[in-house]
Amino acid sequence: MEATERALFEGGVRRATEATDAGALDSALDDIGWRDALAADRPTAVSVLFESQGAMTTTSAALDWLLASALVGASDASAGGTSGGGAVVLPPLRRCDAPGRLDGDWCVVEGLGTAALDRCDTALVAAQTPDGAVTFAVELGLLTRRPVLGIDPALGLFEVMGEFETGWAAQPKSADWPAAAALGQLALSHELVGAGRTMLELARTHALERMQFGRSIGSFQAVRHRLAESLIALEAAAALLDAAWEDPSPRSAAMAKAFAGRSARTVARHSQQVLAGIGFTTEHPLHRSVRRALVLDQLLGAGTVLTRTLGADVLSSGTLPAAFPL
Amino acid sequence: MELDEFKAAVDVWLDAQAEELACTFEGIGTLDQQMAQLRKVMQLTYDAGFMRMGWPERVGGLGGSNLLRAYLGEVLTARDLVEPGFYSMPEVLAPTMIDYAPDALAAEMVPRLLRGEEIWCQGFSEPGTGSNLASLSCRATRDGDAWRLNGQKVWTSLAQYAQRCVLLARTGTTESAHKGITALFIDMDSAGITVRPIETMNGAQEFSEVFFDDVVVPLDRVLGEVNHGWSIAMDLLPHERSTALWHRAAYLQRRLEQLVATAPAGSLDPVAVGEATELLWSLRARSRATQRRLAAGETLGAETSIDKVLVATAEQAIFDLVADGLGTDVVLGDDPVSQRWRAEFLYSRAATIYGGSAEIQRNIIARRLLDLGADR
Repeated sequence: MEATERALFEGGVRRATEATDAGALDSALDDIGWRDALAADRPTAVSVLFESQGAMTTTSAALDWLLASALVGASDASAGGTSGGGAVVLPPLRRCDAPGRLDGDWCVVEGLGTAALDRCDTALVAAQTPDGAVTFAVELGLLTRRPVLGIDPALGLFEVMGEFETGWAAQPKSADWPAAAALGQLALSHELVGAGRTMLELARTHALERMQFGRSIGSFQAVRHRLAESLIALEAAAALLDAAWEDPSPRSAAMAKAFAGRSARTVARHSQQVLAGIGFTTEHPLHRSVRRALVLDQLLGAGTVLTRTLGADVLSSGTLPAAFPL
Repeated sequence: MELDEFKAAVDVWLDAQAEELACTFEGIGTLDQQMAQLRKVMQLTYDAGFMRMGWPERVGGLGGSNLLRAYLGEVLTARDLVEPGFYSMPEVLAPTMIDYAPDALAAEMVPRLLRGEEIWCQGFSEPGTGSNLASLSCRATRDGDAWRLNGQKVWTSLAQYAQRCVLLARTGTTESAHKGITALFIDMDSAGITVRPIETMNGAQEFSEVFFDDVVVPLDRVLGEVNHGWSIAMDLLPHERSTALWHRAAYLQRRLEQLVATAPAGSLDPVAVGEATELLWSLRARSRATQRRLAAGETLGAETSIDKVLVATAEQAIFDLVADGLGTDVVLGDDPVSQRWRAEFLYSRAATIYGGSAEIQRNIIARRLLDLGADR
C-alpha cells in the first residue's frame, strides 16, 4: 500500500475498531473492504487492524478469517459462513498445534473458538496427520461449545469439544497448519503491541496529571524509567514483528509472539504501578487491557512455552535460528 | 553498488584473503595485538576498496549507502577478524568530520582513519563530567591566532594509540553550560598532552586519562562554530548508537552461537537461552530498521537511545548465560579461550555504563520520546 492509501485505510480501521461490539466491528470491516486489503497487502492489513483492535480492546472475526483463508484459500473460506467469514477452531490455551486429532474415521476436537463462532453455522477444524494437516468444514451442531468467561469475559471465547465422523464433514482439504498458525501468531503479536501502547498511554497521561509533593509524578525518575522501560519493550517487539513479516516462518512468528507477549506483560506491570490505586479499579480502563494482554499472550502458543521451545531447540541443535539479513 | 552485489563481492574477497586477514594470536590477545590486527584488516579492506564504500567521495570514499558499511563491519565481526568496538570508531568520528570539519581538513584526515593508518579518540568525559556532559570544564582560551587548551579528559578509549582526538572544550563561561562548548580536532602529538592508561577489570588498558597543559590548537581545527559544540555532540551520539550497534549485534550473535555450541549439556536453562535469543533478534531487527532509516536519508536522534538500551541489555543477558554455561572456564580457566570468555564477560558489565549510561538513555527516552517534560 502506498502512503496516502495506507493513511486512509488506517483511518477507516481505527474508526471501525471504535465499535465495541464484535459483530458491529465485522460489518464495519466489511464496509471498508478489510478482506480485500488482506488479499492485496497482508502485512499492512493485519498489522493495522490487529494493533488497532488491541489498542481499543475490541475483537472481531478477523483472526478466524486470516486463519481460514490461509488454510483453505479465500474463496472456500468465504463459502463457510456469515458476514465475518467462517469460524476456525483454535488450539487449547497455551498450545499452537492443530486442535483436531484423527482417530480412525473420527476426528477428536479440543480447542477454543472466538466470538465469531456464535455467528457461524460451520467451523474449520484442522487436524494433524502423519502426512501433514487436513482441514474439515464441520457443522457446529456436531461439536459442543461452552462460553468461557475467565479473566477477560469481553473477549467472548468459547471452549470447543467433541468428535465427528470425518465422513460427515465436507471433503477435507490438505492444509499447512504451521503456516496458518504463524500468521495467527503475527496477528496476535500486533494485538499485544496495540494493547501495550494503550496501557503505556494511560500510564503516561496519569503520570503527567497526577500531582504529589507539588509536582507531577512524571517528573520523578523512578516513574519515568518505568515508562521508558515500557516504550523500549514495545518498540523492540514492534521491530521484531516487522522483521518477522519479511519471513513469516513458524520460528520467526513464534519468536515475535513470545517477545510481544513478554513486552505487553512488562508494560502491564509498569503501567499498573504508575497508575497505582486508580489503575486497580474497574472505574479506570487499564484493567481491560491488562486482562486482554494476559489472554492474548496465551492464545496460539503461550509466550513462555514458545520461548522454552526455542531455547530447547537452540540447545539441542547447537545453532541459533536463521538471522534475517541486512 | 547495490547491497546484494556488495555482499557477494565482500564475501568472495574475504574467503580468498582469509589467510592474510586472519588473527595471528590466540584468544583475546594483548591490546597491542588487537590494534595491529585492526590496522591490518582496515588497510587491506581499504586497499581492496570495500572500506571506502558507503563514504562520500570528498573524504576518499567511493559513495553508496551506509548499508554497505553496516554489512562490512557485520561480516568482519562475524568472522572474528576485528573487535567491533574499536573497528566501529570511524562510524562515530568520521560522520562528525564530514559534517563539521573544514572541507580540506576532512579530505586530508578521514582517509587516514578509514585505512587504519591512524587511530582517533573521542575526548568527551571528564573526572567531574560523566552523565552531565554539558558541565565539562576542560577549557580552551583564545590566544592570538590559536587556542590554548587546559584540563583533563578521562575514559578516553585508545588515547595511547591515537594520532587525533575529537574533543569538547569549554570556551564560554562555566555557567554557559551547553551554550559555551566548542568541538576541536587535536593532534595527539602536540606539546603538553600526557596520556595515562587505566587498567580496567577485564585486564586491558583500553581507557586513559588525558591531561592537557597549555596545548596549542590552531584556529582552523575548530569543528563547526565556536560555542556550538553541543549540537555536534548531539549529532555524534546517535552515530554511536546506529551502525556501531549493528556491528556489535553481529559480535553478540557470534558469541551466543559459540556458547550454545560448546556449553556442557544441561548447563543452560532453555528459557534463559530462548529469552536471550529473542532479545538479540529484537536488537537486530531494531538496529536494521535504524540502518534503513539512515539509508533513506533520515536524521537519527533520541530514538537511537532505544537501540543502545537493547544492545546493553542483550549483551549482559548473553554474558550472564556465559557465566552459567561456561562457569568453570570463566572462573578458573587460564587457557586463551577461557581468558577471552572471562575478559568479555567482565567487559559486558560495562555495557550499561559506557556511551551514555542506562539511566541517561532512559532519561532521554522519557524526555524526548515520551514527552514527559523536565525531570525536576
